[in-house]
Amino acid sequence: ALVQSCGHIIPESPVLALGSNFTALCILNESCLDFGNIYANQIIWKIKNRLVPKEQYREINRTVSSVTFNDTSSLATPLTCNILADGQIEQNIYGITVTLGLPPEKPKNLSCIVHQVSKLTYPMTCTWNPGRHTFLDTQFRLKYRWPREDFPDCIPKDANNSCTITDVQFFVNLEVWVEAANALGKAESDRLVFDPIEIVKPLSPHNLSVNSGILPSVLKLSWENRISAAVMKLKFNIRYRIIGETDWMQIPPEDTASPRTSFSVQSLRPYTEYAFSIRCMKEDGVGYWSDWSEEKTGMTTED
Amino acid sequence: LNGTDELGAGQSIQKTYDLTRYLEHQLRTLAGTYLNYLGPPFNEPDFNPPRLARAERVPSATVDLELWRGLTDNARLAANYRAYSRLLCYLRGLDGQAGTAELRHSLGHFCSSLQGLVVSIAGVMSSLGYPLPAGTAAGPPAPAGTPATPNDFLKKMDDFWLLKELQTWLWRSAKDFNRLKKKVPPAVVTLRLEARGF
Repeated sequence: ALVQSCGHIIPESPVLALGSNFTALCILNESCLDFGNIYANQIIWKIKNRLVPKEQYREINRTVSSVTFNDTSSLATPLTCNILADGQIEQNIYGITVTLGLPPEKPKNLSCIVHQVSKLTYPMTCTWNPGRHTFLDTQFRLKYRWPREDFPDCIPKDANNSCTITDVQFFVNLEVWVEAANALGKAESDRLVFDPIEIVKPLSPHNLSVNSGILPSVLKLSWENRISAAVMKLKFNIRYRIIGETDWMQIPPEDTASPRTSFSVQSLRPYTEYAFSIRCMKEDGVGYWSDWSEEKTGMTTED
Repeated sequence: LNGTDELGAGQSIQKTYDLTRYLEHQLRTLAGTYLNYLGPPFNEPDFNPPRLARAERVPSATVDLELWRGLTDNARLAANYRAYSRLLCYLRGLDGQAGTAELRHSLGHFCSSLQGLVVSIAGVMSSLGYPLPAGTAAGPPAPAGTPATPNDFLKKMDDFWLLKELQTWLWRSAKDFNRLKKKVPPAVVTLRLEARGF
């Protein structure tokens, strides 16, 4: 090289845990020793041009000097090794960058939900608490598997606390966990084992229609369910209010606790306009309620 | 055994049964859509072609019912496991660029579900203490002399027979698992669900 450096520092570009201790060595080249008449005892260590107290130096031998920091929190970039050569001209021998941070904590509170998107599309989103800030580039991966079958990891996009698997399968238990890794270590969340059918938020029923019947106090609702009975049987909540009023009334849940596509609402006020809305979830109550459906109105007949 | 294997036999069989019904449900729509994609004569209701030598390699669902019923649970589960492992290989051979994006998605979803069924049957066999049949992952190689890339009609014929056989296999497997479900009382359920910490 045109200009050959007279020494180097090891370790080269360390990543260090905040609060830990650290020792660096500056090693002078023999060639420079003879030519420049320089020795390890002339070495001066600096942090960002700020002198490191001499008590932290140690001359290992005539070509090697070490510097020790009991707590890396006082360290910064660059850490330089310099020589106070003849005539008191300070020469820089070498410098390193120091990256400080923390190993990842164990990701916590892992939970997942399957949002039905269409008849046959069930993306599953898992979220977790990533733990403390690590000040380092920390990679999170959502890992999942069946017995005897691993799947490619889900790698979060511009987030470190959630990932969405595009299409999950039902009726086979899935083992799910999160792995966090950076230069200082790796940590794994607890593992969840569940059948995705148990964490589904179905699409709300749609095409709700309201028809008056013979009796002035009855309106008949009918709708279409958007999740197949082969996937899950549903139960429902139905709520209604008088147009112009804000309070909702709800059909007793036990009356709509089984699969259906219609329901007759009784004991309504004659010649009155009502708004209705409906939601659904898995019949056995395992999983999440859908959103409420779009409201539909209907009018009872005159008495 | 690890977390996902620790289902008891009863629950494992129930899930396998539910999955089989779910696959049947998917195939009802998928088969029709795919055959329409193949076009005439394959999508005509009364199309009933002879099985050519090529189609012989797809595990035939036609069995002697008495013989089938006479099998032990282990033998029947093993037969199901082998069949779906091979059917999965053929299914993955279906035209991945088929028709619309929706058809491709349905095909992909169905493939994953069928893969889940193979895993699920293995789980049932493991929970009942039966060994898994060895070496069933890959489908059998094409017999000598069979053109690597059959002509379009023959390939469509293969696809036709694959979908037909799948429908029959699933129909019978649902009965198998329903019958097995009743034979394994819940009391046998040895649930060790400490892994289910959510």
